[in-house]
Amino acid sequence: MKKLLWILKSVIILLLLVMISGCWDQMEVDRKAYVVGIGLDKGKKEKINVTYLISNPEYASQQGGNTNEPATEIITFEANDLITSRNIANSVIAKEISYDMLSVIIVSKQLAKDKNFIRWMYDSTKDREIKRNTAFLVTKEKASSFIEQNEPKLETRPHKYFTLIFEHAGETGLIPRSDLMRYFRITEADGDLFLAALGTNQQTNQERSNGHLEAGEFKIKGKTNKTNLMGSAVFKEGRMIGELSGEETRLSLLLNDTVKSPNYTTTFQDPFNKDYDITAKIIKNKRNNVSMQQMNGKTILNIKVPLTLEVLTDHSMVNYAKNKEKRNQLKRYFTTKITEKLNKLVIKTQKDFKGQPFGWSLQGRKYFLTVDEYEKYDWMKSYPNMEVNMSVEIRFGEFGRQTDLPKIKQVRD
Amino acid sequence: MERSKGKIATREFIAIVILTIGAKMTDDTPAILYEKFSNAAWMAIIIIGIFSVIPIWLLINVFNTYKEKNLIEIVLYLLGKPFGYFVLFCLLVIGSVAITIDSSIYTDIVGTMYFTETPTIVLYAILMATCAFGAKRGLEQIGSFAWSILLWIKLSLFLALLLTFFQGKLDFIFPLFGRGVDEIMHGGISNLSICADFLFLTLIVPFAVNHAEFKKAIWISLCIVTVELAIALIAFVALFDYEPVKMLNYPFHEAIRYIRLEFLPNIEALFFPFWLLALFIRFSFYLYLIALLFGGLFKIKDFEYLIPSLATLFVLLGVIPENPTFSIFHFRDPFLKIVTPVFLLLPCLLWVMSKIKGDIKV
Repeated sequence: MKKLLWILKSVIILLLLVMISGCWDQMEVDRKAYVVGIGLDKGKKEKINVTYLISNPEYASQQGGNTNEPATEIITFEANDLITSRNIANSVIAKEISYDMLSVIIVSKQLAKDKNFIRWMYDSTKDREIKRNTAFLVTKEKASSFIEQNEPKLETRPHKYFTLIFEHAGETGLIPRSDLMRYFRITEADGDLFLAALGTNQQTNQERSNGHLEAGEFKIKGKTNKTNLMGSAVFKEGRMIGELSGEETRLSLLLNDTVKSPNYTTTFQDPFNKDYDITAKIIKNKRNNVSMQQMNGKTILNIKVPLTLEVLTDHSMVNYAKNKEKRNQLKRYFTTKITEKLNKLVIKTQKDFKGQPFGWSLQGRKYFLTVDEYEKYDWMKSYPNMEVNMSVEIRFGEFGRQTDLPKIKQVRD
Repeated sequence: MERSKGKIATREFIAIVILTIGAKMTDDTPAILYEKFSNAAWMAIIIIGIFSVIPIWLLINVFNTYKEKNLIEIVLYLLGKPFGYFVLFCLLVIGSVAITIDSSIYTDIVGTMYFTETPTIVLYAILMATCAFGAKRGLEQIGSFAWSILLWIKLSLFLALLLTFFQGKLDFIFPLFGRGVDEIMHGGISNLSICADFLFLTLIVPFAVNHAEFKKAIWISLCIVTVELAIALIAFVALFDYEPVKMLNYPFHEAIRYIRLEFLPNIEALFFPFWLLALFIRFSFYLYLIALLFGGLFKIKDFEYLIPSLATLFVLLGVIPENPTFSIFHFRDPFLKIVTPVFLLLPCLLWVMSKIKGDIKV
């Protein structure tokens, strides 16, 4: 009897070993094709063209993992949705398609502006492997050609490339933070506009003043990847309605407390010498103060934006560190300049987009006690008629590593 | 295996309660609450906690009067034989339905979020087999196992909630009162059954070391569970916002799939095993309770031997609905409403009867 029990127990333990492999869900890395990026274009009728950017796990930048196979494989085909496309792709790709490593969904501008675009987006909430933190990118050209032309030189592994470029372009504020989660959250709450990163690898010949660049307008020479991410695509109710330039994206991030504010360097014309520019670093480490007021049936929004400014270089060599009077003058100049820019952006959003991408509806919610009241007020509809009072408060930070400059006249003596 | 005759101490009791009721935040309970109360679900759960004090207080009072008896004996003594048996039978049916619904929801979670290819019946069978094994070992072992893993489960949960908070925005809890104060009070009372587990918990009163300890344990665990659920409900709203969170079937699992630990993405694998352990405790304990009730009702002395057959029955019942995500969702909400009056009235009835019999002196 005892022996029988012992045998029974060992059989059970052995059976448990089988379960460790995950039953039917066992997978082997080398039998899967990991899709890192999905490109979506408009197809015929109500179909879409799906492009898969498949990463090769055998390809590695470290020693020992080297292979003669290329880092990626790209296929494009027509499909009804993101879920059937997985099966269709297997008629070409030998390995099982997996979205486990999916890091970016790339959509062409043409499809994003389509009125049915949102229907395809919700496919991604149905699939079990697509996560909500997947990045979201809009391209000016077709997504398929964007993926094909994208040839990063130093970081050839595609998942790493997209993670890194989103991280660093995002840190400098040239592109907004855009992932599926924000897209769904903002679309469903229906109070704000969603900003998605905008990218292209076509160069345009348009000339613009510094900072107002959009993707493709930044001229680069040398041997490098043609892809550049700059500016943002504006989405209202899940559909793309416009674009913001790199500078406007940065400004919108200053007004937005729902994202981590970037610290970035930018240039202003020197108020003391029109020939030169001042390079300043704008740091935002305090939250904005947004308050709502009702007056004579009109809603007034008061927005206080606290900024810290660091003047990094001044080519006019005014020596601000030593001169209090000039420093104050400079502060006033910056305040009016930034306020002007912010106001211009607000007017653009009120007139062109009829909504705001700054997350202000969140602050506005505090003025309502119940969801019903808030929904009845309809923030999106009310916004274009609001009066927005912008006030910028600037504190000076450091004036570069070395604060003193020689007097230009003495040097030239 | 022998029937465990040992008693459980306060800490084991608290551990079991916290793990079984606290696990509710990880299933579809938040989804049901958000559906009704929007972003004020956390207030509703506090209201539920506060109102649960009444039936629980009455129950404790009744139990204090009859120190030697358990729930079955008390019901039979106070309500008389035919009616008492009827009430107990109703309790058994409610308990069985609850365990069937809950276990099929948890199987659905594992099936949709983690093991998508494995057939439901296999997942279900493995879950119930493990729990039946645990339940058969007896209450004492469930208790000591619960206590030994409590810290680790709560630590992982705490980490998950902390990350959720940091990656979300607290501003999302406004407008503060959600669908309105009326709605919160009303809905709160009609969903009291979220705490109905406490009624079933009194089945194990005779196993508690002593009554004063038991009383303390119930109040402590009620407070902890309420606060924990409220915090979790705030955290999910802070991460997802009130509109999207309503559309999620299992907010906890979506949250752990979204959050990242600095340089580590995909950290759901870190929380999943701990959650599974809590799950095993929960259903082992439920199975044990049902077997206890069944045994008491049909006068079966060695009720532990019922556990495997009961577990099989629940698996078979649980796989009947064609798809848990629709049918169970639609079934669960009315079920919670039906259970509420039972949870409210039965303790009142017992207390009043005991008063009439002159056993309770106030």
